[in-house]
Amino acid sequence: MSTTRRDLLLSGIAVGAALASSNVSVMAAGQELTLGVVGVLSGPAAQWGLALRGAVELVAAEANRDGLIKVDGAPCKVNVVAIDSKYTAEGAAAAANTLAGQGVKFIIGPIGSPELTGVKPIAKRNSMLVMGNGYAKDALSPQLPLIFHMGPGPSGWAEPIIKIAKQKFGLKSVVLVAPNDQGGTDIASVDADAYKRTGITATEEYYQRGTTNFAPIVTRIMNAKPDAVDLASSPPGDAGIIVKQLRQAGFEGPIGRLGGPGYSEISRVAGGDEVLKDFYWYEPVLIDEKVQLIADEYKKLLGAERPENNLFFQWVSAARMVTKAIAKAGTISDTAKVAEALRSLPVEDPNIGPGHWIGQDFFGINQELSFPFGVGLVEKGKLQPTIRVEAAGGK
Amino acid sequence: MQGFVATSLIGISLGAQYALLALGFTLIFGILGVVNFAHGGFYVLGGYLAYSAVTYLGMPYALAVLCAALGTTVLGFLFQRFMLDRVIDDHLATLMLTLGLYLMVSSGILVVFGPQSPAFSFPLTGVIHGHGFFVPIENLVVLGVCIIGILSMYGLIYYTDFGRALRALADDRAVATAQGLRPAILFPAAFALATGLAGLTGALVTPTLSLAPHIGDPVLATSFLIVILGGLGSIGGATVAAFIVGMAEAFSAVYLGGSKGALALFVLVLVMLVVKPSGLFGQRVRGA
Repeated sequence: MSTTRRDLLLSGIAVGAALASSNVSVMAAGQELTLGVVGVLSGPAAQWGLALRGAVELVAAEANRDGLIKVDGAPCKVNVVAIDSKYTAEGAAAAANTLAGQGVKFIIGPIGSPELTGVKPIAKRNSMLVMGNGYAKDALSPQLPLIFHMGPGPSGWAEPIIKIAKQKFGLKSVVLVAPNDQGGTDIASVDADAYKRTGITATEEYYQRGTTNFAPIVTRIMNAKPDAVDLASSPPGDAGIIVKQLRQAGFEGPIGRLGGPGYSEISRVAGGDEVLKDFYWYEPVLIDEKVQLIADEYKKLLGAERPENNLFFQWVSAARMVTKAIAKAGTISDTAKVAEALRSLPVEDPNIGPGHWIGQDFFGINQELSFPFGVGLVEKGKLQPTIRVEAAGGK
Repeated sequence: MQGFVATSLIGISLGAQYALLALGFTLIFGILGVVNFAHGGFYVLGGYLAYSAVTYLGMPYALAVLCAALGTTVLGFLFQRFMLDRVIDDHLATLMLTLGLYLMVSSGILVVFGPQSPAFSFPLTGVIHGHGFFVPIENLVVLGVCIIGILSMYGLIYYTDFGRALRALADDRAVATAQGLRPAILFPAAFALATGLAGLTGALVTPTLSLAPHIGDPVLATSFLIVILGGLGSIGGATVAAFIVGMAEAFSAVYLGGSKGALALFVLVLVMLVVKPSGLFGQRVRGA
């Protein structure tokens, strides 16, 4: 194939156009703050990512409405760019790289441990501030001072929930079920330790992510004859099938899910609250009238219903902390300065209430936001009011 | 013994579902020489068509399943006739087209229905409990339909003129065409038959498990595994391999656990392919 003069000319025009457009975006970036969202937007955990994206879009809209971010006294428009991490380390790393290439300095997300593992080296290399989730045991570390946690992992909330479940259902033994990757094992093992500390025998059972029929796993669980089953961080779609198949197998005991919200989808897939029977789970935020105002705000500013998953509220509080810190630091490029401002801010959300920075004991760094949370309960097939638990502190 | 019976029942149930899926996949490869990457997409589409028919049109579930199978059959026919047929001899192009169709189907479903699993349950909810085992009635119904589907497929391919024509085209297209067979009609018909089977399986199985836009990925992977194990293009091989995989999956997961069980399944397939690289019922692969 020979290269003609016409080809060369067209290539030149294309390169010129690309350079011109990149120049325009660099100029625009000088007056705008872009919040990058790295979250799972497809697959069985997509509702978590949609909650994250919706939350950041709301916080950006609030900041723009209030003129919150100012650089050298001039208002700065806040944009959001969301990229699907596909709930994998490589997907999240690719998303973070793309954002870094666009000059984005702040990432809200990702959600799962594998994703956070993928994002961390990219963030470190590009001095990006990350307000992520991920319940991995190494989610935070003193070596990565720009990585923050939007809420505590199971080390912060598992034990209080287990105490409530033990009191309600009289548990003596539990089997924890989770996917066999870091997103499953890191949560299930911390949950298992919390069960053991509470005097409950705990065994862990892992499955290959992508499994669609859990009948063999359910048979294995039934053979162990536990009092309860905990679905840990199994995605809601998987958790729904496991609950349904457990009940079909004749399992009558309570089922927990100490791994994240997703009650609605689990109930829907399982076949309703009657199938859930006795069910308890970690609810990141207790949704009272004040918190509900966030949903109203979302509808008002973005013209749609808020994302279904309740992680949305937790992400709103975390993203608000980041924008407040950026506003306090007065810079949209110096992430170390913003991180310093973030650490010094009182942990408080106008809707969710006061909280603390925790994480020193578990991670060696106090960069984990801790707000009041809830314990969701279905008893005898009836949804119960969520129990409020005060923000975990001192861990 | 009780555990053996319970696990065998799970294995048979899994095997029947896999067989119905893999038959369509291997049929397309055997007759057309096309690796259909959209197979999982037709499975998902079948599920969503049945769900829509039940939820939005108020159809009885059985009728919805038929509509789903018909819908995926028609879509498969049109796709083969107007898109795939133009590049049928170009392996790379057929691969890209079927992969593209899968992405379009799964993305389209994501846009229309959203990422979350809808409430879609099988109309029969009872469970038969025995000594140490249980069988949900929905699984029995699915098993029954799968067996009927598999037998019908065999009857169609081996005992009808249509089946003979397809096999003749698979053996030697040039000679078969010279004898008066019309690939322009028969190829789309074969493709439609296979996609209809995938849609039927999706409509049957998704209400017993869950329905979501992404569930075609593991379906494709499992179908691939079975077809490779059975021997590419072999209908008998795919059926036997489907039950081997179903049993291996059930026994390894129950006795070794979910992680080691998955590993054991792949090790088993690997060993079998080392012993017999062309697959269990491997035969001459169609040259397209």
